Amino acid sequence: MKKIRVFLMTGLTLVGLASLGWADEPITNWLVNPEGPLARQVRSNFFFAMVMIMPFLFLAEGLLLYAIIRFKAKPGGRAAAFHENLRLEVLWTVIPALTLAITAVPTYQTMRAMEVPPKSDLVVGVIGHQFFWEYRYPKQGVQFAEEALVVPAGKVVTLNLSSVDVVHSWWVPAFGVKQDANPGRITHAWFQAERPGHYKGQCAELCGKLHAKMFIDVQVVTPEEFEQWILKKKGVSLPPDTTRKS
Amino acid sequence: MSERAAGLKRWLTTTDHKDIGILYLVTSLFMAVFGGAFAGLLRAQLSAADLKLLNPDLYNQFLSMHGTLMIFFVIIPAMAGFGNYFVPLLIGARDMAFPKLNALSYWLVIPAAGLMFGSFFVQGGTAQTGWTGYVPLASRQFSGTPGVDMWILGLHLVGLSSILGAINFLVTIINMRAPGMGYFKMPLFVWTWFVNATLILFATPVLAGALTMALTDRAFGTGFFRPSEGGDPLLWQHLFWFYSHPAVYIMVLPGMGIVSHVLPAFSNKKIFGYKGIAVATAAIGIIGFMVWAHHMFTSGISPALRAFFAFMTMVIAVPTGVKIFSWLATIWGGQIRFSTAMKFALGFIALFVMGGISGLTLAVVPFDVQVHDSYYVVAHLHYVLFGGSVMALLAGTFFWFPKMSGRILDEKLGNVIFWLVFLGMNITFLPMHWLGIVGMARRVYTYRPEFEFWNQVASFGYILLFAGGMLLLYNMFKAVRKGERAAEDPWGVYPLQRTLDWSVSSPPPVENFAKIPEIV
Ligand SMILES: [Cu+2]
Ligand SMILES: [Cu+2]
Repeated sequence: MKKIRVFLMTGLTLVGLASLGWADEPITNWLVNPEGPLARQVRSNFFFAMVMIMPFLFLAEGLLLYAIIRFKAKPGGRAAAFHENLRLEVLWTVIPALTLAITAVPTYQTMRAMEVPPKSDLVVGVIGHQFFWEYRYPKQGVQFAEEALVVPAGKVVTLNLSSVDVVHSWWVPAFGVKQDANPGRITHAWFQAERPGHYKGQCAELCGKLHAKMFIDVQVVTPEEFEQWILKKKGVSLPPDTTRKS
Repeated sequence: MSERAAGLKRWLTTTDHKDIGILYLVTSLFMAVFGGAFAGLLRAQLSAADLKLLNPDLYNQFLSMHGTLMIFFVIIPAMAGFGNYFVPLLIGARDMAFPKLNALSYWLVIPAAGLMFGSFFVQGGTAQTGWTGYVPLASRQFSGTPGVDMWILGLHLVGLSSILGAINFLVTIINMRAPGMGYFKMPLFVWTWFVNATLILFATPVLAGALTMALTDRAFGTGFFRPSEGGDPLLWQHLFWFYSHPAVYIMVLPGMGIVSHVLPAFSNKKIFGYKGIAVATAAIGIIGFMVWAHHMFTSGISPALRAFFAFMTMVIAVPTGVKIFSWLATIWGGQIRFSTAMKFALGFIALFVMGGISGLTLAVVPFDVQVHDSYYVVAHLHYVLFGGSVMALLAGTFFWFPKMSGRILDEKLGNVIFWLVFLGMNITFLPMHWLGIVGMARRVYTYRPEFEFWNQVASFGYILLFAGGMLLLYNMFKAVRKGERAAEDPWGVYPLQRTLDWSVSSPPPVENFAKIPEIV
């Protein structure tokens, strides 16, 4: 199990490096560089499923290849005559079924983790528009659109998503989050990014002409920087509010 | 009727199941040229980041039509074509139960295709909503073009064609089997069509209902899918996928039937686990109705629904696995002759296993959520529909072309076609798994420069597929004009397989059998 993981990781990193090598700002995703506990749990769930499922891929393709090489017709050769074997048939029904039952366990645990966030530190409303995102911080009284979402590192961020027009989908691969934003309905998602930095994503649901350009930027900053940013944002987004300050 | 009209009149007035089968197949080949050309335009636009070959409007139109044509006008009619030709032959019948209805089913496809092509030329062009037509994007507010109405009406017509065809297949299979042919003596291609017709009969009316609701929302302001009128866009998704997941099996099951004939034929063995395969086919048909919401794991459906549909999606992998292992056991210990048909059938196993496994990973909801609507899904669905359905159709083409035309396709050329298609397919679609995992969304006319390399690889693969397609057309033209003549049983499979298609002349006479055969 450990060995397979190491093997998988090395392989992934190699493919990752090969495809990202020359990009100025490397893309981040839940598999190569997961950000936060949820993304990491998604990754281990994925690895577990791979360890369970992939042997069947190699088994089937391996048997196929072996049969192709081994059973090529020869002059005077005679084909075997068997065409049933109850024990074999029961085996290849039961073993995959059991494997899948085992795979389901961590899958359901991870699904629960996705659905039930820890106590929220910051609530953000995410509203999809053709073709940009609007963000609202109800507690902080800040709202803006067509700019990067800014969140504090290490904090649990819960999202309430909806849309004013068509279905969009908020997707940041590094956080392990993808959630549709539907008109007339509020959906939920959460993430917890630990390392400050710049994370990219994009709208995942075809939403019209410029769907391809409906990018998502998330700026993860330290909690102190976040406080600063909120204050600054308030100054910008609200008219100069002298009455309350004095 | 035992005399057949000549020339064009024959094709316009025929009610012979074999002629109608050929009409379906030729139509689907014709549509494949367009579906394939549209795919070429998409791959050309994606061959570099920020290319300005197609503007976004056009890109989205070709994208929507590529999917629509390939599914509703290529794969489904091609399966219907082989079904029409071979189901009556294989059960020892002289024709389908309702020959005129059969002709009507075919002729409905033509105006439907007309609507699809016509929709490009109206103000605003055709639908830009993908083949899934999600609302509200496909509503009048966001897609005002009459192209969407034409798209809906076109789908209505092919849907009607499918339903009428399905009724015909069911009645034929239930009532017109030769004496002695019990259900568990039916050849597997007939079994897969039996289940397939049942799927069509139960699933397609739901699509028709959903399309009607979309149409009245657009035309009369009903609010089935509009939240402001108490409707819900998710209702469309549920209804659409209630049809469209079974549609995956509608596209794949008859292909599995074809492969279940080709593999034993060229291994010189009987099919392994005949009953197991038949029962697995029926099981897939039933469970196939209980997995649709796995297309909606990110839509915000309730946790209980996600849990149920994840579970069922894992369950459906089991009968699929049964089939794959049975095919492997079929060729095991055989004397394999590598005809082109056999190569495509073996290629089918290789690629369909990939598609099946990647589909299974999508049952793992946390993973599905990451790759949903990404290129991973594009890869997966092409492994199933290209690697599965199309490879099986190509196996069937090389296998049954002599029966249908009396001429054998060039096998040397066939070998080249196989390798072009097999390699091209993998070069095009294998890298897409990775693109999806690292974050490339599907249905985009451009992408960040980071994704460029693997997109170039994929676009290169398309060139091989294109060459394979062209050579296939050439091979057919050549064979029809001067191909080697085929006898009753050109592959020498009848003595062991005993399927009736190889017991009659190539092509079979009108009404197939002078005397209805008895099955022992
Ligand atoms: Cu969007
Ligand atoms: Cu499905």
